[in-house]
Amino acid sequence: MSTLASETPARTRRDRAVDWIDARINLSELFSFLTHFGLIYTPVDTRRPLRDVLEQIRTTPLESYARWPHILGLLTALLFALEAVSGILLAFYYQPTALGAYDSTRSIVRDVMLGWLVHHVHMWGSWLLVAVVLVRMIRLFWDGLYQAPRELLWFSAVALAWLVIQLDFTGLLLPWDEQSYWSAVRGLEIVWALPIVGPMLSALVGGRTMSEDVLNRFYVLHIIVLPVLYLAFVYLTFATMRRVGLSRVGGVAPKLTTFRRHASDLVIITLLLFAGLVTLSTLMPFQFHGPADPYRTPKGTLPPWYMLAPYALFQLPLPRWIPGLALVGTAFTLPFLPAIVRAAGNRLDDKRLRMAGLAVFGLWLVLSVLGAFVDRR
Amino acid sequence: MSAHAKEKGMGLWRRATALTLLLLPLAFLLASGAFAAARKTGDGKVTKASGRCGSCHPDERVAFEKSRHAGEDMHCTSCHGGNDQSLDEAGAHQGNGWRGKITRAQDPAMCASCHADEKVMQPYDLPVDQYSQYQTSGHGKLLAKGDGKVAVCSDCHGAHDVLSAHDPASRTYVTNIPRTCGTCHGDTTLVRERKMKDTYHEYLGSVHAKSLFDKGNLKAPTCVSCHGVHGAAPSDIGNVNKVCGRCHTAERRYFKSGPHAAAMAAEQMAECSSCHGDHGIAPSETARLASSCVKCHDKGSKDEVLGATLLADYQSAAEAIEKAEKVVARADAVPIQTEDYKARIEEAHTYLFEALTAAHAVSPEAMSGYTTRARSVGEEIQEELGSKLQNITVEKLFLLVFWFYVIVTIGIIRRFRDAGPRAVK
Repeated sequence: MSTLASETPARTRRDRAVDWIDARINLSELFSFLTHFGLIYTPVDTRRPLRDVLEQIRTTPLESYARWPHILGLLTALLFALEAVSGILLAFYYQPTALGAYDSTRSIVRDVMLGWLVHHVHMWGSWLLVAVVLVRMIRLFWDGLYQAPRELLWFSAVALAWLVIQLDFTGLLLPWDEQSYWSAVRGLEIVWALPIVGPMLSALVGGRTMSEDVLNRFYVLHIIVLPVLYLAFVYLTFATMRRVGLSRVGGVAPKLTTFRRHASDLVIITLLLFAGLVTLSTLMPFQFHGPADPYRTPKGTLPPWYMLAPYALFQLPLPRWIPGLALVGTAFTLPFLPAIVRAAGNRLDDKRLRMAGLAVFGLWLVLSVLGAFVDRR
Repeated sequence: MSAHAKEKGMGLWRRATALTLLLLPLAFLLASGAFAAARKTGDGKVTKASGRCGSCHPDERVAFEKSRHAGEDMHCTSCHGGNDQSLDEAGAHQGNGWRGKITRAQDPAMCASCHADEKVMQPYDLPVDQYSQYQTSGHGKLLAKGDGKVAVCSDCHGAHDVLSAHDPASRTYVTNIPRTCGTCHGDTTLVRERKMKDTYHEYLGSVHAKSLFDKGNLKAPTCVSCHGVHGAAPSDIGNVNKVCGRCHTAERRYFKSGPHAAAMAAEQMAECSSCHGDHGIAPSETARLASSCVKCHDKGSKDEVLGATLLADYQSAAEAIEKAEKVVARADAVPIQTEDYKARIEEAHTYLFEALTAAHAVSPEAMSGYTTRARSVGEEIQEELGSKLQNITVEKLFLLVFWFYVIVTIGIIRRFRDAGPRAVK
């Protein structure tokens, strides 16, 4: 096993196939590119023959991140891939216009073969993705994984969480049914109430009224801008990991494994994830609502669940800028947590910081529950 | 022409143009000033419509100038006589058939002097029979008897400020008619004095008034739709069903085919209004199919049972449609194609509506033709869409097959995985 393949003459059929390819294109370049996305850990020299590269990939041990708790990071990438695939299928039929959005969505779910499955898988996937990304952020915080040299990992984890929430929010509007329309209106009211950021974002989406322009801009953000940014931060995550390695919480080293086992695990997890989404979509499909009516708000319309806490904050009898400033402040300080912790020096030990984080999380939960009931009276 | 001369000529030309341009705004100002002066109608100035009368009668002049008459070569003198060019009162108030203030008794005949004249009315395409109709009306007959309080032309149309009935500001515009009649027929003092019914306030609570005022349905009946316009008269017993039947044609047809028509005529009972009321007609209510019988028939009689049968028949059909609508709503939430079913529910609602009309014949046979159709459409939809929804539940069993393949595939991948070494040293 340990001998290099180049020293033995090509005999098997597989060896001949590899040589055939290597004589025609430099596939080593592709493997070199793939290393940026974490599947391949070995540094690949693009000048070496393909057989050497393959042998190197096969024999170099790698840390398995297909196991708890590292799997949260893996799911962040895998779920995104599933969302991308199902999203592309949906985009084949979807029309981002006020006239066509509802009808085309309905025809996807109702008339197109297996369209309902793709639609529901995409929606359930978005739910899971938001949950996974938030749980991952909590986990990184709890285990102190924002400390040097993992500051960039934390930064990109926060960025991914923000991007996922924005992807979910922009995607929510697209079906243009009464729930999605009014939920987005409620959400945008929160965004527009924020100081500084609110006016900037309202200028970006074209004013403070819901319209076809908002739909169009949300569509472009949803299918191009945000996914590309997301990919960039996925790259940043893997690039950091390749330098600093997987975390060793409690001094337990991650298991070393082979490429073959690792790749097989990835396929199995992807398959289970897909099967899970199909099961959820079949047994618990989302209800399909009537078309959006700009002149009638359905009873009990709430912003999306992750916006319930800010929604509750804005209901407090305070001038709008106080909760607004608190929200904007939190949003901008969260990615720079490592720097703040270091600046605080030894006044903040691990335990105190965890308790503070727990308190903030508890407050967020309480506010979310309040936000869900604030409108109902 | 030399170059110099050419230049000089052009200079002149340029100066003339500049002067014209300078004078243009001035000319415009002058012209607009003259125009405004021409339009200005200060006190004492002679105007086309009212002459000099407005100097002493400014309120009447203002009202008159806004009226339909003002633009049609009508003047104060057309009705009042006298001389509208005179500079003093004595000169103005004499000659030309001077009448001064027109009394209520004179009013109809005075209006008729033009409005009953075919030659005068022909250009406006207006009818000329209002005066003769008025004379046959309740108002006209009482006026002829010397009753000075009954309505004359000016009570409904206004005196100086007469407007066309098509003008929404007019007292005789369709939405203003109830209030115009209500000036007397809704005046509580007058109503008590003259022992009339307060029909105006009764009407305001009716389904007709709701349609007119709340829904803005300009075709909804007002006072004049039933009582006539100038020949206003109350409808007699025996005629009520004809008056109502002008719009409610099918109800009248069914009613006449039923047993009530002859029986009520014999008893001298008003047909429609005996059950529905007259001015304060309430919205139709299906429960009345059973509850209104005991107004005349004995409790527990076979007639009351018949009413209960009609109601039960109607309700079972309505219930079938309601259930079908619920199934459609469930199918929409999936969603399943429901456009066809929605169209059929519309159709069923039409049958149901027809059934209520047919109920006026008070015969289960006449009604069941429609209720049966409505019920069967409702039940068909429940069955067809229900089985489609059931199919979706059955389709969920395919998940078992799907998971079987997933598990088999995972098994294969695991074997492939475990075929290699567990770890690299």
